[in-house]
This record gives sequence, C-alpha cells and structure tokens, in this order.
Amino acid sequence: MISNLPTSDGGRLPPASPSDAADRRSDQEGMAGVASVTSTSATRVAIIGAGRGGTALLDLLHQLRTIEVVGIVDRNPAAPGLQRAHELHVPVYDRIADLIGNQGVNLVMDVTGDPSMDRILHDQTTGGADILSGPASRLLWDLAQHESALQGELLHAEKLAGIGSFAAGIAHDMNNPLQLILGLAESLADEHDIETVHLQARDIIEAVKRTTAICRDLTSYSRRASSQQDSLIAVNGKLDEALKIARYAVALQDIDIHKAYQPDVRIKGNPDELLHVFVNLITNAVQAMEQGGTLALETRVRHGATQVRVSDTGCGISADLLDRIFEPFFTTKPPGKGTGLGLYNIKNVIQHMHGTIEVESHVGRGSTFTITFPQETVTEDRSGPS
Amino acid sequence: MNEFKSGFFVGGEGCNGRVLIVDDEPDIRKVVRMTLQKAGYDVLEAENGAKAIETINAGENRLLLDVMICDIRMPKVNGIEAIAYFRQNYPRVPVIVLTGFPDTDMATSLLRQGVVDYLVKPVEGDKLKASVARAMEQRELAHL
Repeated sequence: MISNLPTSDGGRLPPASPSDAADRRSDQEGMAGVASVTSTSATRVAIIGAGRGGTALLDLLHQLRTIEVVGIVDRNPAAPGLQRAHELHVPVYDRIADLIGNQGVNLVMDVTGDPSMDRILHDQTTGGADILSGPASRLLWDLAQHESALQGELLHAEKLAGIGSFAAGIAHDMNNPLQLILGLAESLADEHDIETVHLQARDIIEAVKRTTAICRDLTSYSRRASSQQDSLIAVNGKLDEALKIARYAVALQDIDIHKAYQPDVRIKGNPDELLHVFVNLITNAVQAMEQGGTLALETRVRHGATQVRVSDTGCGISADLLDRIFEPFFTTKPPGKGTGLGLYNIKNVIQHMHGTIEVESHVGRGSTFTITFPQETVTEDRSGPS
Repeated sequence: MNEFKSGFFVGGEGCNGRVLIVDDEPDIRKVVRMTLQKAGYDVLEAENGAKAIETINAGENRLLLDVMICDIRMPKVNGIEAIAYFRQNYPRVPVIVLTGFPDTDMATSLLRQGVVDYLVKPVEGDKLKASVARAMEQRELAHL
C-alpha cells in the first residue's frame, strides 16, 4: 500500500509532535488515576501501513500499557488508520524515515502486505529495532482481529446472560397492561353504553402500545452491538435509555434517582456498547442498595474531558476487593447470579473508546464509578447524534 | 355509612363483601375494581403496602374488610412485607396474591404463610371473582 513513499515532505497530514502526544496520553490517563505508560518500560512501536490491518493493530496496541505507539505512516492521507491515529493522539507520518529514524523505535511492524517493504525497512531502520513483516506481521494482524472478535462475542454473551435477570421485570411490565386489556375486553363484552365502549377501547389501544414498546426496547437492547463506525452519542439520552432498560433487571421503586446532566454532552463511540455499559453500572448500583437509597447519574465536561458518574448509596466495596472488580470472572454475587464479566467488559468497552473508568467506594456508604473520555470526542460535528 | 378516612372507599351499601386491592399500577386497581364492583363487592384501593396498612387501620376498615388482593412488586412496603403484616395483625382477613411474575418458590412460601390463592396476571374476571368468593367463604368459616 505504501510502496514508493514520497521522499519529500508532503505536509498533507501534519504530524503531531510525538513528545506532545505522549504527554497528552499520559495526562489523560493520569487524570483518571490510571497508571500511565512510561517511556522507560514501554516497547516503542512504529506501525507501517494505515489500512485495515494498521487500524486494527493501532487499536489493539494502544490499549496495552507496555506498548507505546510512537507513530504510524501511510502515503495515503485518507487511510483509515491515520484518522484513528489523530483521534488517539498518535503521531502520523507520510515518510517512513521520519517515523523510524529518530524515535527510539524498538519494533517496526509492517502491515502493508507489500513484499518490497521488508527491504526498505531494513535499509532505513537504525538503532537495532526489530522488524516484524511478511507472514509474521500477517499473523499478528490475524490475532488482533481474532481478539477483537472474541471481545465482541464476550460482550454479547454477557449481555444475553444478564437479560435472563430481566424476566421478573419483563413479566411485571408485560402482564400489567395485559391484565388491563383482558379486564377491559371482558367488560366491553357486556357494555352497551357507546361512550364507555369508546373510552375502554382507547385504554386497550394505549395498553397495547405500552406492551409493544417493551418488546421494542428489549429487542433493540438484546441485539448484537453493531460493528458500524463509531458515532457521536448523546450521553444524557443514552443514560435515560439505560435507566429504562435497567428497570427490567432491578426494581427501582425504592430508589431515589437524581440526575445532574450537563446539557448536550456527546462522546464518540459505539452506542450499543455504551448503552450496555450504562445498563450494567446502573444495575450494579441498584443491586448494591437492597434497602433502597439514591442513584445519582451525572454528566459533565471538566478540565478538558467528559465525565459520566454513576453513584449509589449502597453497601460499598471493601478496599481489598476494589483492585479485583475489573478482573474477568470476579464476582461477589452468589453462584448463578452473576457472570463476573460485567465490569471486565465495561472496562474493555471504555478502553476501546479511549476512555478510562475508576471507582471510589466506602463500605456502608456507597460507590461512585467515573468514566472519563477525552474532550476531543465531544467537540466534533454534532449533526448525527444517535 | 361508607365514610372512610382513607378516602379510598368506592363501593356502596348492601355489598357482597369489602375487598382491598393493593397494587402500584392504577390500571390494575381500576380493572380489578371494575370487575369486583360488577360482582357486588365494595372495593378499597391502596397503591402500596404502606397505604394498605394505613387503609386497614382507618375507621371501620379493621372490622369490615373481608379480603385483601395484593401485588408483590411495589414501592415502599412491598407485597411480601404487607402480607406478613396482615397475616400477623389481621389473620382473619384472607389474602389473595395477584402478581405479574409467576415464581413457584415464592408462591409456595406465601401459600405456607396462609395466603389463600396465588394468581398470575393476566387473570380472567371469572377466575378472580371465584377466588374472592372462596376467600369470603373461608373468612366466614373462620368466624364460626
């Protein structure tokens, strides 16, 4: 794809300063209390080629704390990986030499599929960097794709497992309007007053609409997360949608719900996956408040980042468990009540959206989960909210 | 006659009995009231367990209430708690559960606690009336 790279400075996609980008990444992670990548411990990787393979590799490597992607290069300014790199603050280049010459690169990954690239890289790589190209690079790309597919499957499986807990809520919300419909229909069979008939018929129609809405909500929620391009998501609306779904899993009758939404907050990501994240966090929060309490949902833009906070006044999480709650298969729920994959999947989805998640908890007082997204995802075109 | 402080009284004189329907859904209270009133019952309504307890302790209800029909999933005092209160303080008032969620374990547990019937919505009017009639008979037998 990028054979015959131009030797002149094209200037079509001005590269960000690598050091600036590293600083920004470090700042974002530090702000959310997550240990940031340091140059002394990270493997510094350069990606050659920004097509599908390069994009997938960039997404995967960007999530790994032990790897710092120092840049990506492609001759084609419209290559999808370059746009992705801009979103991730990874420097982009249009000349191989500029990327791998002076960046202290440890590993060069070639995903161009161009047989001649191997020789070009060997000629231009300095400082003893390893080069991964040809079949080895292809294998890595396949693994990246496989890992991505597995994450999607895991997310969907965990979502479907969770839907099993919706049975009580669904039955409650379906059977109530059905009771009204049946009762009114029985009444209509003996009713002679035409005005009463009309009123009761209208009540039946409204009850049917409510029942239909339940089916529509659940069908929409249970579908597999779309693999479409990320889109701008109206966060406040998504939280409200999640609240509507979560009430099938948990009873909200004894829960006070406080919303503190900053207007018009948007982030870029997969709307289906974000909905799943919010449903999980709300469900967990309510389950932590067996005796009732307050569920607080907050959105805000602070210090260059968008934050979503889900708080409860429930039982809290002890300090010795806090470090483990994002581990796969870790759960404090009784056997059969939880997969232990909820928070693990949440963490993965948030990371994929280039955000971070942190939790603050006090036993007996409650927990607050804070998701932080970089600001750049908020300020883009607002023409297409989901 | 027919003056209740709770303000929930909707029936008339000469009734077959007095029934309290406890459900957080106004539509359910409405349709149950409609069905039972046509069958000649006076009907009281409460939107949750707390209101039910308030209602039965108001005026002459504590003496004249014949049957309670109770949902399970409700805010404040839920159905389980309300039924426990009624079984302890008003053991002669038969309780019928009318719930949207069929749960065998819960049904067994409630029936062991003295609940006379466990109905799952949507229930036909005839079935509801038959259940209330059986509960009335049971209450009358208890008075003998």
